[in-house]
Amino acid sequence: MYVGQAIRRREDERFLRGRGRFVEDITLDQPIAHAAFVRSPHAHAAVTHVDTAQAAAMPGVLAVLTGADWTAAGHGEAEGVWPVKDMSGADSRTAYRPLICVDGVVRCVGEIVAMVVAEDRHQALDAAEAIEVAYEEKPANTITAGALDPDIPLVHPAFGTNEVMVTEHGLKEETEAALANAHHVTEVVVPTNRVTAASMEPRAYLGHYDRVNDRYTVWTTNQAPHIVRRYFTKSLHIPEHKLRVIAPDVGGGFGMKLYHYPEEGLVLWGAIVCDRPVRWVGTRSECLLGDTHARDHHTVGRMGFDENGKILGVKFETLAAFGAYESQWQASITNAYHFTMLSLAYDIPAIHTQVRAVYTNATPVDAYRGAGRPEAVYQVERMIENGAQEMGIDPLELRARNLIPPEKFPYQTALGITYDSGDPPVLMGKIKALADYDALRAEQARLRAEGQWMGIGISAFFDMAGAGPVKMMNDLGAKVGCYDVASVRVHPDGRITVFAGSHSHGQGHETTWSQIAADRLGCDIDHIDLVEGDTDRVPMGIGTWGSRSLSTAGMAVYTAADRVVAKAKRMAAHMMECAPEDLDLADGEFTVKGTDRKLSFAAVANASYHSGDRPSDLEIGLEETSFFDPADCTYPSAIHLCVVLVDPETCAVTLRNYWAVDDVGTVINPMVLHGQVHGGLVQGIGQALMEECAYDAESGQYLSGTFMDYAIPHAEDVPSFGLDAHFTRALGNPLGAKGAGESGTIGAPACICNGVIDALWHLGVRQITQPMTPKKIWRAIEDAKRTQH
Amino acid sequence: MAGVSVTFTVNGREVTATVDPRTLLVHFLREHLKLTGTHIGCDTSQCGACTVHLDGRPAKSCALLAVQLEGAEVTTIEGVAGPDGMHPMQAAFKEHHGLQCGFCTPGMVMMGIDIANRHEAPDEATIRRELEGNLCRCTGYHNIVASIAAGASSMRG
Repeated sequence: MYVGQAIRRREDERFLRGRGRFVEDITLDQPIAHAAFVRSPHAHAAVTHVDTAQAAAMPGVLAVLTGADWTAAGHGEAEGVWPVKDMSGADSRTAYRPLICVDGVVRCVGEIVAMVVAEDRHQALDAAEAIEVAYEEKPANTITAGALDPDIPLVHPAFGTNEVMVTEHGLKEETEAALANAHHVTEVVVPTNRVTAASMEPRAYLGHYDRVNDRYTVWTTNQAPHIVRRYFTKSLHIPEHKLRVIAPDVGGGFGMKLYHYPEEGLVLWGAIVCDRPVRWVGTRSECLLGDTHARDHHTVGRMGFDENGKILGVKFETLAAFGAYESQWQASITNAYHFTMLSLAYDIPAIHTQVRAVYTNATPVDAYRGAGRPEAVYQVERMIENGAQEMGIDPLELRARNLIPPEKFPYQTALGITYDSGDPPVLMGKIKALADYDALRAEQARLRAEGQWMGIGISAFFDMAGAGPVKMMNDLGAKVGCYDVASVRVHPDGRITVFAGSHSHGQGHETTWSQIAADRLGCDIDHIDLVEGDTDRVPMGIGTWGSRSLSTAGMAVYTAADRVVAKAKRMAAHMMECAPEDLDLADGEFTVKGTDRKLSFAAVANASYHSGDRPSDLEIGLEETSFFDPADCTYPSAIHLCVVLVDPETCAVTLRNYWAVDDVGTVINPMVLHGQVHGGLVQGIGQALMEECAYDAESGQYLSGTFMDYAIPHAEDVPSFGLDAHFTRALGNPLGAKGAGESGTIGAPACICNGVIDALWHLGVRQITQPMTPKKIWRAIEDAKRTQH
Repeated sequence: MAGVSVTFTVNGREVTATVDPRTLLVHFLREHLKLTGTHIGCDTSQCGACTVHLDGRPAKSCALLAVQLEGAEVTTIEGVAGPDGMHPMQAAFKEHHGLQCGFCTPGMVMMGIDIANRHEAPDEATIRRELEGNLCRCTGYHNIVASIAAGASSMRG
């Protein structure tokens, strides 16, 4: 069996030898021209004049294109695949992100106004600088919290409001009653900071149009290549069968590389106009500005407890940032992944949440690793932490009293979602032992007596992973079917190519999908190759996002392989003159049960393609495809615990220890699983302590445009991690596997913030917004001193 | 563009070229020599994806002009493996799952080799401190640290 083994990754050697093939590395027979963009320097402005004459005459320039050209060509916009749904049923106030400014108004810094295509990069950049754009600045607002206040500038005046839509979910009356009757009510304002994925590979696109054959090709840094074709039917009106989308090696995505970005459409447009392949590779500044941003919820929460610390009800009111426009998957956060998960790992009888989505003059927000769940965990866990501290109950003990007990599974939350399996008390027991919790509390008391500030943070949650089944996700708003696809092709020599509609961008599918296929096919893992990321080779796919690949595409591999085995057994039975049920398949050989009669899988494969001696009703060939629609989402769960030290002199936070215990169901490859958890944790740590997409409140200028300003964690900022696991089987797929890609990012921000609050509670500090920088911590301590005196 | 002639050694092979003076070393390696293992992940020499060895020390090839390199010796990720397979540091990254998407990886391996060259048996704190010029967004560093420690150990034999 390969499943369950820490098989070393089969894709590693090419990356280690510098032979990875990313979009920027692609070469073609024809010379590739380069695109450069002119972007709005203002958060909100009328574009009164664009003069391209000088640029067009510069050396090497092939084309200078503007929004007027886009409109004249009849091109469209990038329509949402997960559009917003307003609870009233009224049309939500949708304004999709334009590929290029077409209506004479720019609504956020970085919006594209013009494109230059030139022979080389430098010529394109030089010409872009020579384009003169006249702007008339308008008042702008980049702050989510105030977006609906009176006198705030409107991003889209035609709507008459900055509100996109309102949704409410849960048990409103029950929650009000619970809060009214509670022994203790905790109220906290819990904004989640605006962050961005910052994958190490910047976004890049290469477009090509073959005029003779009327075929388009786009090489793209994208996690779901088949969905890219869908976007192009609306932006450039290209039929899906005419467009080949190739996502080669993709250098990290984290959700951010799911979308139809302006540059993706414009590069192919440039290629059509210039009749030349055109490439754009984002600079880090362009990416920090133009990659979708994430989170940015402004939330007020109230949680009611009984005298024993049992949670009776919780109510949230959230303003959720959209930025200046609606990005294609935005509502997967507001309408699907945020509200559904507010019960976390707790048995909470009454929950009510209202979300009002708002426009601001900032970069569009969309899903990023966790997408709505980090917000939910932060919102709920900050309430629980403050509640426990206020009531004088040990925070871990208060949580333990509220965990969903194993006998309640399948557990339906107050928000209507049903967790299929899990055992939170076991996770709690494991993390308590792993961290030696009681010893930590004793150490904390000792250090506090010495004037040292140590805090212990905790978070416990469920994740909704494995997007599918199709019907459920449609009901939550998805316009794309959330299944996935795999073909298993057995070649006449018995070797196998697997084609999958997922797209690994660091997850290691070449290894893990092969582990699944090799077990089902009873063959050596080295006899299997994987193809992903090419719409001309893979039949269909919905892509890699939302911790879904294993329970959709991975299960399609499983199912297609089983169909191959069933067919091969019929051929083998015919050849061996026995019944298919009498055959076993292992180690590349069919064996008749109870005998020593054997026939190699390769011989059966060869006969499947080349022998006329076959059952009359058995079709030639040995290849099967599965479109796998899972029976349910998967609901992985985890508990995190950390130790932070806050320096009383500098207010700097040292994250000393971090432990996580995960339940992800059946594990395909524990090495890959741990890698996913580690990486997610550090992204969550970044959100808690250092990352922020910051705007100047006055001018609307973006302040986080380089890695000198947008701080992602370095190796020295984080510790090594202590991981443990407990497995309960998922019920919605045959392997019993649950998603594992987002757990770290979902749980870490809340865990760390709770740790810092725990360290400073005795000083009177009750809340510090993320990122918890030394300056904010110092200010919170000073404010607390003033309040107390 | 007035080209400037420059001659230096890349992965043991002498290279002479006439380049636009504003050409960065990283662009020269990638576009003129097609050595695309050296990556560009930022504009401000923070990320380290472009790390190469210049006369035996790590250098960020995005912060050097090709014309500065007259007579220099440059080693890229493509030049570290021997004829018998991967360099011990490369092998350690595979063994310890020190990479996921693979984009920062060449820079991490080049830096890892340098750390091993300068430290007898680098401990976790040393490795983390030494990685101040290299960013990774996938691995959370845990397994990169383990890989470099193991790679350093096998380099010593």
